[in-house]
Amino acid sequence: MRIKNHPILTFTQEEEIAFTFEGKSVKGNKGDTIASALSALGIMTLGHSIKQNRPRGFYCAIGNCASCNMVVNGVPNVRTCITLLEENMDVWRQMDKGVYK
Amino acid sequence: MKNVNCLIIGAGISGVSIAYNLASKGMKNIHVVDKSYFTSGATGRCGAGVRQQWNTETNCLLAKKSIDFFEHAKEILQYPGNLEFKQEGYLILATSQQEHEQFIKNVDLQNSLDIPSSLLSKEQALAIVPHLNPDSFVSATFCPTDGHLNPFKMTEAYMLAAKRLGVTFSFFEEVKKINRDNHKIVSVETTKELYIVDVVVNAAGGYSAEVGALAGIDIPVYSENHEILATEPVERIQGPMVMSFSKNIYCQQVPHGAFLMGRTTPGQPHNHDVESTWQFLDEMAKTAIHILPLLGELRVVRQWGGSYNMSPDRQPIISATEDLEGFYIACGFSGHGFMFAPMTGLLLSEIILKENPTLPIAGLSLERFKHITDFEVEQSVV
Repeated sequence: MRIKNHPILTFTQEEEIAFTFEGKSVKGNKGDTIASALSALGIMTLGHSIKQNRPRGFYCAIGNCASCNMVVNGVPNVRTCITLLEENMDVWRQMDKGVYK
Repeated sequence: MKNVNCLIIGAGISGVSIAYNLASKGMKNIHVVDKSYFTSGATGRCGAGVRQQWNTETNCLLAKKSIDFFEHAKEILQYPGNLEFKQEGYLILATSQQEHEQFIKNVDLQNSLDIPSSLLSKEQALAIVPHLNPDSFVSATFCPTDGHLNPFKMTEAYMLAAKRLGVTFSFFEEVKKINRDNHKIVSVETTKELYIVDVVVNAAGGYSAEVGALAGIDIPVYSENHEILATEPVERIQGPMVMSFSKNIYCQQVPHGAFLMGRTTPGQPHNHDVESTWQFLDEMAKTAIHILPLLGELRVVRQWGGSYNMSPDRQPIISATEDLEGFYIACGFSGHGFMFAPMTGLLLSEIILKENPTLPIAGLSLERFKHITDFEVEQSVV
Protein backbone atom coordinates (compact mmCIF):
# COMPACT_ATOMS: atom_id res chain seq x y z
CA MET A 1 0.00 0.00 0.00
CA ARG A 2 1.25 3.48 -0.80
CA ILE A 3 -0.32 6.73 0.36
CA LYS A 4 -1.13 8.74 -2.74
CA ASN A 5 -3.48 11.42 -1.40
CA HIS A 6 -2.89 13.06 1.95
CA PRO A 7 -4.62 16.21 3.35
CA ILE A 8 -1.34 17.89 4.26
CA LEU A 9 1.62 16.04 2.73
CA THR A 10 2.26 15.58 -0.95
CA PHE A 11 3.86 12.46 -2.30
CA THR A 12 5.48 12.98 -5.66
CA GLN A 13 5.42 10.10 -8.10
CA GLU A 14 8.96 8.60 -8.04
CA GLU A 15 10.51 6.84 -11.00
CA GLU A 16 10.24 3.05 -11.01
CA ILE A 17 13.05 0.60 -10.34
CA ALA A 18 12.92 -2.91 -11.81
CA PHE A 19 14.16 -5.84 -9.73
CA THR A 20 13.41 -9.54 -9.32
CA PHE A 21 11.74 -11.25 -6.38
CA GLU A 22 12.04 -15.05 -6.27
CA GLY A 23 12.92 -14.95 -9.97
CA LYS A 24 9.91 -12.84 -11.07
CA SER A 25 10.34 -9.35 -12.52
CA VAL A 26 8.68 -6.73 -10.29
CA LYS A 27 8.89 -2.97 -9.72
CA GLY A 28 9.53 -0.68 -6.80
CA ASN A 29 10.02 3.08 -6.53
CA LYS A 30 13.17 5.10 -6.29
CA GLY A 31 13.77 5.77 -2.57
CA ASP A 32 12.25 2.45 -1.48
CA THR A 33 14.06 0.07 0.79
CA ILE A 34 13.87 -3.52 -0.44
CA ALA A 35 11.32 -4.32 2.27
CA SER A 36 9.14 -1.26 1.57
CA ALA A 37 9.04 -2.14 -2.14
CA LEU A 38 7.97 -5.70 -1.31
CA SER A 39 5.40 -4.41 1.17
CA ALA A 40 3.93 -2.15 -1.51
CA LEU A 41 3.68 -5.21 -3.76
CA GLY A 42 1.65 -6.98 -1.07
CA ILE A 43 4.44 -9.43 -0.20
CA MET A 44 4.21 -10.02 3.55
CA THR A 45 6.45 -13.07 4.03
CA LEU A 46 10.11 -12.13 3.73
CA GLY A 47 11.65 -15.24 5.28
CA HIS A 48 11.12 -18.05 7.76
CA SER A 49 12.08 -18.48 11.40
CA ILE A 50 15.15 -20.56 12.20
CA LYS A 51 13.75 -23.16 14.58
CA GLN A 52 10.07 -23.61 13.69
CA ASN A 53 10.16 -22.42 10.11
CA ARG A 54 7.29 -19.98 10.65
CA PRO A 55 6.74 -17.04 8.25
CA ARG A 56 8.56 -13.82 9.17
CA GLY A 57 7.81 -10.36 7.81
CA PHE A 58 8.35 -6.61 8.10
CA TYR A 59 8.67 -5.84 11.79
CA CYS A 60 11.03 -3.34 13.45
CA ALA A 61 11.86 -1.38 10.26
CA ILE A 62 15.08 -0.03 11.81
CA GLY A 63 17.51 -2.91 11.19
CA ASN A 64 17.48 -4.38 14.69
CA CYS A 65 15.21 -7.41 14.73
CA ALA A 66 16.48 -9.60 11.84
CA SER A 67 12.88 -10.41 10.86
CA CYS A 68 13.38 -9.04 7.32
CA ASN A 69 16.68 -10.80 6.59
CA MET A 70 16.72 -11.94 2.95
CA VAL A 71 19.15 -13.18 0.32
CA VAL A 72 20.03 -10.23 -1.95
CA ASN A 73 22.31 -10.73 -4.95
CA GLY A 74 23.41 -14.01 -3.37
CA VAL A 75 24.32 -12.43 -0.01
CA PRO A 76 22.36 -13.87 2.96
CA ASN A 77 21.16 -12.03 6.08
CA VAL A 78 20.71 -8.68 4.32
CA ARG A 79 18.55 -6.38 6.45
CA THR A 80 16.11 -5.41 3.72
CA CYS A 81 14.27 -2.81 5.82
CA ILE A 82 17.35 -0.55 5.84
CA THR A 83 18.87 -1.46 2.48
CA LEU A 84 17.89 0.81 -0.42
CA LEU A 85 16.45 -0.84 -3.50
CA GLU A 86 18.70 -0.81 -6.58
CA GLU A 87 18.08 -1.55 -10.24
CA ASN A 88 18.13 -5.31 -11.11
CA MET A 89 18.52 -6.53 -7.52
CA ASP A 90 17.93 -10.27 -7.17
CA VAL A 91 15.89 -10.78 -3.96
CA TRP A 92 14.98 -14.14 -2.41
CA ARG A 93 13.22 -15.22 0.77
CA GLN A 94 15.70 -16.72 3.21
CA MET A 95 14.73 -20.21 4.35
CA ASP A 96 17.80 -20.98 6.54
CA LYS A 97 20.34 -19.27 8.79
CA GLY A 98 22.31 -18.03 5.78
CA VAL A 99 24.80 -19.91 3.64
CA TYR A 100 28.29 -18.38 3.40
CA LYS A 101 30.92 -19.63 0.93
CA MET B 1 22.45 -24.32 62.36
CA LYS B 2 22.77 -27.34 60.13
CA ASN B 3 24.98 -30.41 60.26
CA VAL B 4 26.38 -31.50 56.90
CA ASN B 5 28.97 -34.12 56.06
CA CYS B 6 30.28 -32.13 53.15
CA LEU B 7 29.79 -28.50 52.18
CA ILE B 8 30.85 -27.64 48.64
CA ILE B 9 31.46 -23.96 47.97
CA GLY B 10 30.64 -23.15 44.35
CA ALA B 11 27.97 -24.70 42.10
CA GLY B 12 29.93 -24.35 38.87
CA ILE B 13 30.92 -27.36 36.81
CA SER B 14 33.64 -28.40 39.31
CA GLY B 15 31.38 -28.16 42.35
CA VAL B 16 28.51 -30.11 40.79
CA SER B 17 30.87 -32.79 39.47
CA ILE B 18 32.45 -33.21 42.91
CA ALA B 19 28.99 -33.37 44.52
CA TYR B 20 27.81 -35.99 42.02
CA ASN B 21 30.93 -38.15 42.41
CA LEU B 22 30.85 -38.05 46.22
CA ALA B 23 27.13 -38.88 46.27
CA SER B 24 27.48 -41.70 43.76
CA LYS B 25 30.17 -43.23 45.98
CA GLY B 26 27.66 -43.27 48.81
CA MET B 27 28.38 -40.13 50.79
CA LYS B 28 25.24 -38.69 52.40
CA ASN B 29 24.26 -35.20 53.49
CA ILE B 30 26.14 -33.16 50.89
CA HIS B 31 25.19 -29.52 50.43
CA VAL B 32 26.36 -27.12 47.70
CA VAL B 33 26.24 -23.33 48.18
CA ASP B 34 26.78 -20.66 45.56
CA LYS B 35 26.97 -16.92 46.07
CA SER B 36 25.04 -16.12 42.90
CA TYR B 37 22.77 -17.76 40.29
CA PHE B 38 23.31 -21.10 38.57
CA THR B 39 26.34 -21.00 36.18
CA SER B 40 26.92 -17.32 36.99
CA GLY B 41 30.68 -17.73 37.20
CA ALA B 42 33.33 -19.01 34.83
CA THR B 43 31.35 -22.13 33.81
CA GLY B 44 28.55 -20.12 32.22
CA ARG B 45 31.06 -17.79 30.59
CA CYS B 46 33.44 -20.35 29.10
CA GLY B 47 34.24 -21.04 25.46
CA ALA B 48 32.52 -24.46 25.57
CA GLY B 49 35.42 -26.33 23.98
CA VAL B 50 36.77 -29.69 25.15
CA ARG B 51 40.23 -30.78 23.99
CA GLN B 52 43.02 -33.24 24.71
CA GLN B 53 45.91 -31.57 22.90
CA TRP B 54 48.17 -30.41 25.75
CA ASN B 55 51.89 -30.41 26.36
CA THR B 56 52.00 -31.67 29.95
CA GLU B 57 51.19 -35.26 30.81
CA THR B 58 48.90 -34.26 33.68
CA ASN B 59 46.67 -32.08 31.49
CA CYS B 60 46.63 -34.71 28.69
CA LEU B 61 45.46 -37.41 31.08
CA LEU B 62 42.84 -35.21 32.78
CA ALA B 63 41.48 -34.23 29.36
CA LYS B 64 41.53 -37.72 27.84
CA LYS B 65 39.65 -39.32 30.72
CA SER B 66 37.20 -36.42 30.84
CA ILE B 67 36.37 -36.80 27.12
CA ASP B 68 35.87 -40.53 27.73
CA PHE B 69 33.24 -39.52 30.30
CA PHE B 70 31.59 -36.86 28.10
CA GLU B 71 31.07 -39.51 25.39
CA HIS B 72 28.71 -41.35 27.75
CA ALA B 73 27.63 -38.46 30.02
CA LYS B 74 24.03 -38.32 28.80
CA GLU B 75 23.44 -41.99 29.65
CA ILE B 76 25.48 -42.05 32.86
CA LEU B 77 23.79 -38.94 34.27
CA GLN B 78 20.40 -39.87 32.72
CA TYR B 79 20.00 -36.34 31.38
CA PRO B 80 16.73 -35.79 29.49
CA GLY B 81 18.04 -32.83 27.45
CA ASN B 82 20.62 -32.46 24.72
CA LEU B 83 24.19 -31.84 25.91
CA GLU B 84 25.10 -30.56 22.42
CA PHE B 85 28.22 -32.70 22.47
CA LYS B 86 29.97 -32.70 19.12
CA GLN B 87 33.31 -34.31 18.36
CA GLU B 88 34.59 -32.66 15.23
CA GLY B 89 38.06 -32.01 16.54
CA TYR B 90 40.39 -29.16 17.38
CA LEU B 91 42.67 -27.92 14.61
CA ILE B 92 45.63 -26.19 16.25
CA LEU B 93 47.75 -24.07 13.93
CA ALA B 94 51.53 -23.77 14.07
CA THR B 95 52.56 -20.40 12.71
CA SER B 96 56.35 -20.74 12.89
CA GLN B 97 58.98 -23.43 12.45
CA GLN B 98 59.65 -23.26 16.19
CA GLU B 99 56.00 -23.87 17.03
CA HIS B 100 55.87 -26.68 14.45
CA GLU B 101 58.77 -28.43 16.23
CA GLN B 102 57.08 -28.02 19.62
CA PHE B 103 53.92 -29.55 18.12
CA ILE B 104 55.88 -32.63 16.96
CA LYS B 105 56.82 -33.20 20.62
CA ASN B 106 53.27 -32.51 21.78
CA VAL B 107 51.79 -35.06 19.38
CA ASP B 108 54.39 -37.66 20.47
CA LEU B 109 53.38 -37.14 24.11
CA GLN B 110 49.66 -37.17 23.28
CA ASN B 111 49.96 -40.36 21.19
CA SER B 112 51.90 -42.08 24.00
CA LEU B 113 48.82 -41.43 26.20
CA ASP B 114 46.38 -42.82 23.59
CA ILE B 115 45.18 -39.40 22.46
CA PRO B 116 44.50 -39.75 18.70
CA SER B 117 46.09 -36.47 17.57
CA SER B 118 48.23 -36.13 14.47
CA LEU B 119 50.45 -33.65 12.70
CA LEU B 120 48.95 -32.21 9.50
CA SER B 121 50.50 -30.46 6.52
CA LYS B 122 49.02 -27.17 5.37
CA GLU B 123 47.14 -28.99 2.59
CA GLN B 124 45.66 -31.54 5.01
CA ALA B 125 44.54 -28.74 7.35
CA LEU B 126 42.90 -26.88 4.46
CA ALA B 127 41.01 -30.03 3.53
CA ILE B 128 39.43 -30.01 7.01
CA VAL B 129 38.80 -26.23 7.24
CA PRO B 130 38.78 -24.92 3.64
CA HIS B 131 38.20 -21.27 4.57
CA LEU B 132 41.53 -21.00 6.45
CA ASN B 133 43.90 -18.36 5.13
CA PRO B 134 46.74 -20.56 3.77
CA ASP B 135 49.27 -17.80 4.44
CA SER B 136 48.45 -17.60 8.15
CA PHE B 137 50.07 -20.88 9.28
CA VAL B 138 52.75 -23.44 8.41
CA SER B 139 51.30 -26.70 9.74
CA ALA B 140 48.71 -27.94 12.23
CA THR B 141 47.80 -30.66 14.69
CA PHE B 142 44.37 -32.24 14.74
CA CYS B 143 42.59 -34.44 17.24
CA PRO B 144 39.24 -35.70 15.90
CA THR B 145 37.75 -36.58 19.31
CA ASP B 146 38.10 -33.05 20.72
CA GLY B 147 35.03 -30.87 20.39
CA HIS B 148 32.22 -28.89 21.97
CA LEU B 149 29.76 -29.32 24.82
CA ASN B 150 27.08 -26.96 26.14
CA PRO B 151 28.29 -25.77 29.57
CA PHE B 152 24.81 -24.89 30.87
CA LYS B 153 23.35 -28.26 29.92
CA MET B 154 26.36 -30.21 31.20
CA THR B 155 26.28 -28.45 34.58
CA GLU B 156 22.53 -28.98 34.84
CA ALA B 157 23.00 -32.67 33.99
CA TYR B 158 25.43 -33.07 36.91
CA MET B 159 23.22 -31.06 39.25
CA LEU B 160 20.07 -33.05 38.48
CA ALA B 161 21.95 -36.34 38.87
CA ALA B 162 23.39 -35.15 42.19
CA LYS B 163 19.94 -34.07 43.39
CA ARG B 164 18.55 -37.53 42.62
CA LEU B 165 21.28 -38.91 44.90
CA GLY B 166 20.16 -36.58 47.70
CA VAL B 167 22.54 -33.65 47.27
CA THR B 168 20.98 -30.29 48.17
CA PHE B 169 21.77 -26.89 46.63
CA SER B 170 21.28 -23.29 47.64
CA PHE B 171 21.96 -20.21 45.54
CA PHE B 172 22.48 -16.54 46.43
CA GLU B 173 24.15 -17.70 49.64
CA GLU B 174 27.67 -16.43 50.23
CA VAL B 175 30.30 -17.92 52.52
CA LYS B 176 31.47 -15.28 55.01
CA LYS B 177 33.54 -17.19 57.54
CA ILE B 178 35.27 -20.56 57.83
CA ASN B 179 36.00 -21.62 61.41
CA ARG B 180 38.79 -24.00 62.32
CA ASP B 181 39.95 -25.59 65.53
CA ASN B 182 43.70 -25.62 65.08
CA HIS B 183 44.25 -27.98 62.16
CA LYS B 184 40.69 -29.18 61.72
CA ILE B 185 37.78 -27.54 59.98
CA VAL B 186 34.75 -26.99 62.23
CA SER B 187 32.06 -24.85 60.68
CA VAL B 188 31.18 -22.48 57.87
CA GLU B 189 29.11 -19.32 58.23
CA THR B 190 27.20 -18.00 55.25
CA THR B 191 24.84 -15.09 54.72
CA LYS B 192 21.98 -17.47 55.58
CA GLU B 193 23.18 -20.35 57.74
CA LEU B 194 25.80 -21.83 60.08
CA TYR B 195 26.98 -25.22 58.86
CA ILE B 196 28.72 -27.68 61.18
CA VAL B 197 30.92 -29.64 58.79
CA ASP B 198 33.32 -32.55 58.46
CA VAL B 199 34.48 -31.74 54.95
CA VAL B 200 34.58 -28.45 53.05
CA VAL B 201 35.39 -28.26 49.35
CA ASN B 202 36.62 -25.01 47.87
CA ALA B 203 35.33 -25.05 44.28
CA ALA B 204 34.79 -21.30 44.17
CA GLY B 205 36.40 -20.77 40.76
CA GLY B 206 37.45 -17.13 40.40
CA TYR B 207 37.01 -16.58 44.13
CA SER B 208 38.92 -19.67 45.34
CA ALA B 209 41.88 -17.65 46.67
CA GLU B 210 39.47 -15.58 48.81
CA VAL B 211 37.68 -18.71 50.08
CA GLY B 212 41.08 -20.24 50.87
CA ALA B 213 42.01 -17.11 52.82
CA LEU B 214 38.79 -17.42 54.89
CA ALA B 215 40.13 -20.81 56.02
CA GLY B 216 43.64 -19.44 56.52
CA ILE B 217 44.98 -21.39 53.54
CA ASP B 218 47.18 -19.59 51.04
CA ILE B 219 46.40 -20.73 47.49
CA PRO B 220 48.76 -19.27 44.86
CA VAL B 221 46.11 -18.48 42.25
CA TYR B 222 44.70 -15.26 40.83
CA SER B 223 41.82 -14.36 38.52
CA GLU B 224 41.93 -12.40 35.30
CA ASN B 225 39.31 -11.41 32.76
CA HIS B 226 39.19 -13.27 29.44
CA GLU B 227 36.70 -12.04 26.86
CA ILE B 228 34.64 -13.84 24.23
CA LEU B 229 32.39 -12.71 21.41
CA ALA B 230 29.56 -14.46 19.57
CA THR B 231 28.33 -13.87 16.02
CA GLU B 232 24.87 -14.27 14.55
CA PRO B 233 23.99 -17.92 13.80
CA VAL B 234 24.62 -19.05 10.22
CA GLU B 235 24.49 -22.36 8.38
CA ARG B 236 27.34 -24.73 9.09
CA ILE B 237 30.72 -23.53 7.83
CA GLN B 238 33.29 -25.01 10.20
CA GLY B 239 33.42 -28.40 11.95
CA PRO B 240 36.45 -28.18 14.24
CA MET B 241 37.59 -25.56 16.71
CA VAL B 242 40.41 -23.57 15.08
CA MET B 243 43.04 -22.48 17.55
CA SER B 244 46.46 -20.86 17.59
CA PHE B 245 48.56 -20.18 20.67
CA SER B 246 50.98 -17.89 18.83
CA LYS B 247 48.22 -15.90 17.08
CA ASN B 248 46.24 -15.87 20.34
CA ILE B 249 42.84 -17.13 19.16
CA TYR B 250 40.34 -19.92 19.55
CA CYS B 251 37.28 -19.94 17.32
CA GLN B 252 34.54 -22.47 16.80
CA GLN B 253 31.05 -22.69 15.32
CA VAL B 254 28.69 -24.10 17.95
CA PRO B 255 25.84 -26.45 16.89
CA HIS B 256 23.29 -23.61 16.95
CA GLY B 257 25.31 -21.86 14.21
CA ALA B 258 26.97 -18.96 16.03
CA PHE B 259 30.74 -18.58 16.06
CA LEU B 260 32.33 -18.18 19.49
CA MET B 261 35.82 -16.80 19.67
CA GLY B 262 38.17 -15.63 22.36
CA ARG B 263 41.70 -14.45 23.03
CA THR B 264 43.91 -13.47 25.93
CA THR B 265 44.26 -9.75 26.47
CA PRO B 266 47.90 -9.23 27.49
CA GLY B 267 48.64 -7.39 30.70
CA GLN B 268 45.26 -7.93 32.32
CA PRO B 269 45.14 -6.91 35.98
CA HIS B 270 44.63 -9.68 38.54
CA ASN B 271 41.08 -9.08 39.72
CA HIS B 272 37.44 -10.13 39.31
CA ASP B 273 36.60 -7.85 36.39
CA VAL B 274 34.31 -9.53 33.82
CA GLU B 275 33.48 -6.49 31.67
CA SER B 276 33.56 -6.31 27.88
CA THR B 277 35.86 -3.92 26.03
CA TRP B 278 35.97 -2.45 22.51
CA GLN B 279 39.70 -3.15 22.48
CA PHE B 280 38.96 -6.88 22.66
CA LEU B 281 36.40 -6.62 19.86
CA ASP B 282 38.91 -4.76 17.69
CA GLU B 283 41.83 -7.15 18.27
CA MET B 284 39.66 -10.28 18.11
CA ALA B 285 38.14 -9.22 14.79
CA LYS B 286 41.57 -8.52 13.27
CA THR B 287 42.96 -11.91 14.29
CA ALA B 288 39.84 -13.85 13.27
CA ILE B 289 39.69 -12.23 9.82
CA HIS B 290 43.40 -12.82 9.25
CA ILE B 291 43.09 -16.57 9.94
CA LEU B 292 39.48 -17.15 8.83
CA PRO B 293 38.71 -14.37 6.31
CA LEU B 294 35.16 -15.59 5.60
CA LEU B 295 34.13 -14.66 9.16
CA GLY B 296 34.47 -11.00 8.16
CA GLU B 297 31.00 -11.37 6.58
CA LEU B 298 29.33 -12.16 9.91
CA ARG B 299 27.87 -9.75 12.45
CA VAL B 300 28.91 -9.79 16.08
CA VAL B 301 25.80 -9.97 18.27
CA ARG B 302 27.25 -9.98 21.77
CA GLN B 303 30.37 -10.28 23.88
CA TRP B 304 31.13 -11.05 27.50
CA GLY B 305 33.97 -11.69 29.94
CA GLY B 306 34.74 -14.32 32.55
CA SER B 307 37.47 -15.17 35.03
CA TYR B 308 40.34 -17.52 34.33
CA ASN B 309 41.63 -18.74 37.72
CA MET B 310 45.35 -18.99 37.01
CA SER B 311 47.76 -21.33 38.80
CA PRO B 312 51.56 -20.95 38.63
CA ASP B 313 52.00 -23.93 36.25
CA ARG B 314 48.68 -23.52 34.38
CA GLN B 315 47.57 -26.89 35.70
CA PRO B 316 44.75 -27.39 38.20
CA ILE B 317 44.96 -27.78 41.96
CA ILE B 318 42.86 -30.80 42.96
CA SER B 319 44.06 -31.44 46.44
CA ALA B 320 43.73 -31.91 50.17
CA THR B 321 45.50 -29.41 52.42
CA GLU B 322 48.36 -30.46 54.70
CA ASP B 323 47.60 -27.80 57.28
CA LEU B 324 43.87 -28.19 57.60
CA GLU B 325 42.07 -31.50 57.94
CA GLY B 326 38.77 -31.60 56.11
CA PHE B 327 39.54 -28.75 53.70
CA TYR B 328 39.83 -29.67 50.03
CA ILE B 329 40.52 -27.60 46.95
CA ALA B 330 39.60 -27.73 43.26
CA CYS B 331 40.73 -24.54 41.56
CA GLY B 332 43.44 -22.94 39.42
CA PHE B 333 42.15 -24.50 36.21
CA SER B 334 43.66 -21.61 34.24
CA GLY B 335 40.74 -21.44 31.83
CA HIS B 336 40.08 -25.16 31.45
CA GLY B 337 37.94 -26.22 34.40
CA PHE B 338 34.94 -27.04 32.24
CA MET B 339 36.69 -29.61 30.05
CA PHE B 340 38.44 -31.30 33.03
CA ALA B 341 35.35 -31.41 35.28
CA PRO B 342 34.62 -35.17 35.12
CA MET B 343 38.13 -35.93 36.40
CA THR B 344 38.00 -33.07 38.91
CA GLY B 345 34.96 -34.68 40.50
CA LEU B 346 36.29 -38.21 40.34
CA LEU B 347 39.79 -37.44 41.67
CA LEU B 348 38.66 -35.15 44.47
CA SER B 349 36.04 -37.67 45.60
CA GLU B 350 38.78 -40.33 45.67
CA ILE B 351 41.05 -38.00 47.68
CA ILE B 352 38.27 -37.16 50.16
CA LEU B 353 37.21 -40.80 50.59
CA LYS B 354 40.86 -41.96 50.75
CA GLU B 355 40.51 -44.31 47.77
CA ASN B 356 43.24 -45.13 45.28
CA PRO B 357 43.24 -42.27 42.76
CA THR B 358 42.49 -43.06 39.11
CA LEU B 359 45.41 -40.83 38.03
CA PRO B 360 48.64 -39.78 39.77
CA ILE B 361 47.69 -36.80 41.94
CA ALA B 362 51.09 -35.52 43.10
CA GLY B 363 51.18 -33.11 40.16
CA LEU B 364 47.82 -31.68 41.20
CA SER B 365 48.57 -31.09 44.88
CA LEU B 366 48.65 -27.71 46.54
CA GLU B 367 51.97 -28.68 48.09
CA ARG B 368 53.75 -28.90 44.73
CA PHE B 369 54.22 -25.15 44.73
CA LYS B 370 55.94 -25.27 48.13
CA HIS B 371 58.43 -27.99 47.29
CA ILE B 372 59.24 -27.40 43.64
CA THR B 373 60.16 -24.11 42.05
CA ASP B 374 60.92 -25.18 38.45
CA PHE B 375 57.67 -27.02 37.74
CA GLU B 376 56.70 -27.85 34.18
CA VAL B 377 54.41 -25.10 32.87
CA GLU B 378 51.60 -25.83 30.42
CA GLN B 379 52.25 -23.74 27.28
CA SER B 380 49.21 -24.77 25.24
CA VAL B 381 46.94 -22.08 26.63
CA VAL B 382 44.99 -19.21 25.06
